[in-house]
Amino acid sequence: MLGNSVIFLPLNISHPIEATIAQVTSSNEVGSTATLISVGIFLLVFAAISLQLLHETAAALLGAVAVFLVTYIGGKLNWNVIFLIMGMMIFMAILAETNVFKWLAFQLYRASKGNAWLLAAALITLTGITSAFLNDVTAILLIVPLSIQIAVAIDLNPFAIVIPEVLASNIGGAATLIGDPPSTIVGSHIGLSFGEYLVHMAPIAIICMIALIIFNRLQYGKEYEGAKTKISPVLLNKLATESDIVNHATLYKALVIGALTFVLFFTADLLGGIPPSVVALTGASLLILWVRPDMHHMLREVDWTTLIFFIGLFVVVGGLEATGAIGWLASQIQILAGESVTLATMMTTWISGTVSAIVANIPFTVAALPIADVLSANLPSAATSRVIYWALILGADLGGNATYLGSAPNIVAVGLLTQAGFRLSFARFARDGVPVTILTLVLASIWLLLRY
Amino acid sequence: MSLVLCATRGGKESIIAQDKAIALAKEQGAPLVFLYIADSSFLNKSAAAVIVDVDEELTEMGEFFLLMAVERADQEGVKAKAEVRSGVFREILPNVALELEASTIVLGHPAGETSHFQEAEFEAYLKTLAQETGATVLTPEKEARE
Repeated sequence: MLGNSVIFLPLNISHPIEATIAQVTSSNEVGSTATLISVGIFLLVFAAISLQLLHETAAALLGAVAVFLVTYIGGKLNWNVIFLIMGMMIFMAILAETNVFKWLAFQLYRASKGNAWLLAAALITLTGITSAFLNDVTAILLIVPLSIQIAVAIDLNPFAIVIPEVLASNIGGAATLIGDPPSTIVGSHIGLSFGEYLVHMAPIAIICMIALIIFNRLQYGKEYEGAKTKISPVLLNKLATESDIVNHATLYKALVIGALTFVLFFTADLLGGIPPSVVALTGASLLILWVRPDMHHMLREVDWTTLIFFIGLFVVVGGLEATGAIGWLASQIQILAGESVTLATMMTTWISGTVSAIVANIPFTVAALPIADVLSANLPSAATSRVIYWALILGADLGGNATYLGSAPNIVAVGLLTQAGFRLSFARFARDGVPVTILTLVLASIWLLLRY
Repeated sequence: MSLVLCATRGGKESIIAQDKAIALAKEQGAPLVFLYIADSSFLNKSAAAVIVDVDEELTEMGEFFLLMAVERADQEGVKAKAEVRSGVFREILPNVALELEASTIVLGHPAGETSHFQEAEFEAYLKTLAQETGATVLTPEKEARE
């Protein structure tokens, strides 16, 4: 029976867990028509995204429209996520125009003085750090093209630099609330401040980055030793020109406002718990006021398709929640895990890691979040430590490294390599991605067991 | 007037195509143009937040690869030019070939499962390209493998 369903679209910035849990537990009976329809729509959207049958945004939007039309059920839009991403996009769009990331990458090349291993380690670290604080796809789009050029110029297979850079972007993204969409989604959902998130996740992200660099040394050591130590003056000059800082004044302003924004992120709790989205939009607005960019151009730079993708996704998953499908799935996992927090944590880490390896980790995280709510609510010690949420973040972020379908930066890097004339097949990516994923998930599991 | 147009990128297979184009230009005394097409259509299937000018990034990468190709030709005593265009590869290539009145088009092999083409589709494209442009289309890397 569809007629008694309710439309709800709360503009809920803080998005308390209690409300979600109450809603999940009071939802319709499993097996109702509404449940089946919402599950069907979600699976179609998931398949369309995972099999790349449709553009992700189109798939999520069509799913959202279908949910509205068929079941008259709206989802819960997590505006904190939407505005946080939007704020960071504006900040990133202004900063990217200064060419600072390429400049940094080129400085690292010069500092490595012909040592390819040192160069790779430095570029991997730069990508990881950049992805921790800025959108990971943007980090890849800015750093990878120059990395490919340097690799080709020193006669090094670009895979030896680009694959670890991509893996680093996913690992680095787990370090902060704004680094990777799964981190933003989960962190915003449970109302974490920037500092609180950082304290819990940055240490394990750093451990995983160190593990990646060691793995990379073992995997590509011979290739690094065989690389040329110098490149021709003409090519060096081209790289230097390409890597010049474009607008020093804008860079200065972006760095000042960026520093202020991060101070505000860290002190938000002391200022009455300002949500990260408000901090990000405040920083972006201050930067716009100071830099005075062409607003028409600025608005074009904001990737509206991504924002609509997130909105559509929240609506579709909201349908699953409201009809009881998520609650039913959570109860099945609860039965398997029993009363054991350890088992529930390990299951969350490895299931989310495995699923994120195969399908896109963003829709998975949105769908898995209500399950984490129910598990946390039923396991009191897990609710206090939030360990199920940490496990979900680590599983989704690190699992995305196994195959190139696992996360957006992987797909983008494969596209960039193809544009450079280098084939990176599914199997070739997995040759590096799978061991690194297993290694980092093992480290994450140990971390979760010891820390919580 | 004969002109050799070599559509190229930066991989090893591109070097085979570049060498063939350089040899042909030298043999025929024909002008040689290296072409890189910045095709950002690979981003279409992802909702990744793209807030940088990807075409510009690809164009810079293309300029770098073409600089290497021109250096390579120079070492063989052949003066070559470089052209970078943006757009969908399969649409841009015939347009450039017609614009430059190319008599020979040299292509590398498509880049596997992530290429602009599937194998069978590539064969069909080569025929269409030859018909549309009236040029001789060569794929040296593919021929070497066969």
